[in-house]
Amino acid sequence: MSSDHRLALDNCIKCSICVSHCPVARVTDKFAGPKQNGPDLERFRLEEPAAVHPSIGYCTNCKGCDVVCPSGVAVSAMNCRARGEYVSMHGAPLRDKILARVDRMGKAARLAPSLVNRLAGLRPLRLLAEKMLGISAAMTMPRYAQKTFLELYKPQNVGDTGRKVLYYPGCYVNYNAPEVGLALAEVLAHNNIRVEVEQFDCCGLPLIANGLLDTARDQAKKNLAKLQGYINRGYDIVTTCPSCHLTLRQEYRELFQLNTDPLHEKMLDVFEYLSVLLQQGKLVTRFEELPLQVGYHQPCHLKAAGCGVPSREILQLIPGLRVADLDAGCCGLAGTYGFKKEKYAISQAIGSNVFNAVKELGVRQVISECGMCQLQIHHLTGVAVYHPLQVLAQACGHGKWLAK
Amino acid sequence: MNKYTDVLIIGAGLSGLMAAAKAAEQGKEVMLVAKGMGAVGLSSGCIDLWGYNLEDPNQVCQDPLAEIARLCAVNPQHPYARVRDVLEESLLFFRRVCQENGNPYLDHRGGNWLLPTALGTLRPTYLAPASMAVGDLQQVRGVLVVGFRELKDFYPDVLAANLKKSGVLQADCPLNTLMVCAGGGELTPNTLAYRLENPAVVDRIVDQIKPHLLPGAVLLLPPVLGERWDSQVAKNLAEKLGHPVYEVTNIPPALPGQRLQQMLLHHVKGQGVEVVIGCTVNGARVADKRCTEVLATGAGKPIKISAKTVILATGSFLGGGLESKPGKAWESIFGLPVETGHEKWSARDFLSMAGHLFNQMGIKVNEHLRPVDKTGEVIIENVMVTGANLAGCNHPIEKCGNGVAVASGYKAGKLAGEVGE
Repeated sequence: MSSDHRLALDNCIKCSICVSHCPVARVTDKFAGPKQNGPDLERFRLEEPAAVHPSIGYCTNCKGCDVVCPSGVAVSAMNCRARGEYVSMHGAPLRDKILARVDRMGKAARLAPSLVNRLAGLRPLRLLAEKMLGISAAMTMPRYAQKTFLELYKPQNVGDTGRKVLYYPGCYVNYNAPEVGLALAEVLAHNNIRVEVEQFDCCGLPLIANGLLDTARDQAKKNLAKLQGYINRGYDIVTTCPSCHLTLRQEYRELFQLNTDPLHEKMLDVFEYLSVLLQQGKLVTRFEELPLQVGYHQPCHLKAAGCGVPSREILQLIPGLRVADLDAGCCGLAGTYGFKKEKYAISQAIGSNVFNAVKELGVRQVISECGMCQLQIHHLTGVAVYHPLQVLAQACGHGKWLAK
Repeated sequence: MNKYTDVLIIGAGLSGLMAAAKAAEQGKEVMLVAKGMGAVGLSSGCIDLWGYNLEDPNQVCQDPLAEIARLCAVNPQHPYARVRDVLEESLLFFRRVCQENGNPYLDHRGGNWLLPTALGTLRPTYLAPASMAVGDLQQVRGVLVVGFRELKDFYPDVLAANLKKSGVLQADCPLNTLMVCAGGGELTPNTLAYRLENPAVVDRIVDQIKPHLLPGAVLLLPPVLGERWDSQVAKNLAEKLGHPVYEVTNIPPALPGQRLQQMLLHHVKGQGVEVVIGCTVNGARVADKRCTEVLATGAGKPIKISAKTVILATGSFLGGGLESKPGKAWESIFGLPVETGHEKWSARDFLSMAGHLFNQMGIKVNEHLRPVDKTGEVIIENVMVTGANLAGCNHPIEKCGNGVAVASGYKAGKLAGEVGE
């Protein structure tokens, strides 16, 4: 055991704040909780890797434990490694191996997106998938776009501000929600900034969350090398998906001991990037009036980035727009988690707070940065859910997503 | 990444949240950053002001406000001496916020409540949430202590045996215990509280309790009756049983402290305060006795925050606000001096009635809560210090931790609200 590791473990004072804020442990006793699976058992695992509790499979990897820990213990990293150890000993079910490869599913769906979307809505087929694979028949499947973001995106001719921006879209924007990437391009073009794109691997989060750490590590190394190349050439990297962002910047370091220091300075959530422009007096703040009220849901992985809500400052500049914080905690989907038959009910129980908050506030449209949160909130409430960038693009005169 | 705000509060404990609520109410732009959830979620959920008599620490204090006035005269170094001017005002503000959010806090005719703990001892406290505010136990005509099979750390028989020994009940007062089942399994207090939010589960509990009720009996339960600050579980249970139902204090994690924390967080967010948990402040730049910016990191990313006023609500050694090594202690962000004295930092007995010296260590401040050096000179003009960071109180034995937090947080928020443009 290294002294660093020992220290990290000793920092846990067993205060149980992580347990009392764990959204999973709150609704079910199937998960032994972040403290027991994390720092408690980690002490044994350092000597005996087999000390993994099977309940580790019920952790959603929301990282709430990291956020609330007052002692700086990387609880979720311990849980992720524990799940990796469990899976390497016991193997992963076929279902998890399929769900963890969102990039492959996206590539396969490209052959016939309409057909895939139609099949995903066929009840008998879904029941079969539930029986054979354990994929919940009740959960709404993400819809695949007719064309990927990378196919649709055409670099625009804009004035030269000398700013170099590379966009890391992530699998969800590329295969399911290209309109978010296009909104990003419009917003930056509005500020005379041209966006570069590039073919990346999946950030690896779905693999990590399913305990398939070796494959995730390979992808991490490839992604990091590519990103480093752009940073060396003076690029800023922007993201729109909080989970990709956190994985690239934090998980690559905590789980794979890769050096992500350059990303801390050079990789920004797109709204952080726009805030920097605003502070430099370089943001074009001509916005159309949007007289509407929307609910806002903060994704867990954005919370875990510890930098607040980057869109807050910018959206406040849009005349007429009122953003009400749902303040309802985790939505419960957690990427692939809520699609699993045995976890669907847990996922819905966690999300009931979001359902109640939407009802209480009476909002008919919700915004949230995470594609999976968007899907779950729509599934729970039936309201339309958008990325904050779509609101901003609309205020810049592009797109008509939100109803006034 | 740079951020700008009028008032920056570091720490999400009780004093930080009070400061945020008060500063925001005065129209300031407020940001609250904290490296984790504050310790108020680990507290009993009650607001202790002053527990025992100054001269006779075995006697429960009958009039905490008067006792604090005397304390300030005999011990002008106590933090209460710095906040006495706003003490009553701060308690009214606290109670108003709680009331408006559907989580009323009650006082006991200006004196101390004597609330039963899970061990059957009685603890003095000044304000208690309605679900815990057991009136005079001397008057009750029967007590039924109810535990849950699913819950560890709460044993009705232990509570009952010690309560009997305490002599607070009338000699002929029936005192019974009962274990009920809430659906099986081994649950944490939070999971049980979640389960009890389901009315069908409460109905099943009611069915189990009813045959054991004696006329006039008061029920004592572990602090798990409802998840949220505005939960109706305790109230509904009492109505369905036709008997008063109370939660007793228990070891963390207990729900009343968490409810208070969640309520205050929800309240300040509703007031427009930007709350960022999981963001660690590790340093600051100071020029001409003014803090120009603090340096923080969120998941490894550096963030610089500039504010007109910075409120240091970082919570002593436990919260990481103070750090130490043998023979030396200091404040962790600004390096403010912490006097350690020459005596031993801790007493030989863990539960010493004299308390431990390290609990009294902290930052010296003036009447505006500004940190001062040995000569009384202000060290940084736009920084204020609140809560457990303040030098001179020994909260575990004085029973004043949350009282000092409420008053000092409120005062700092009020003063920050008065800072001009």
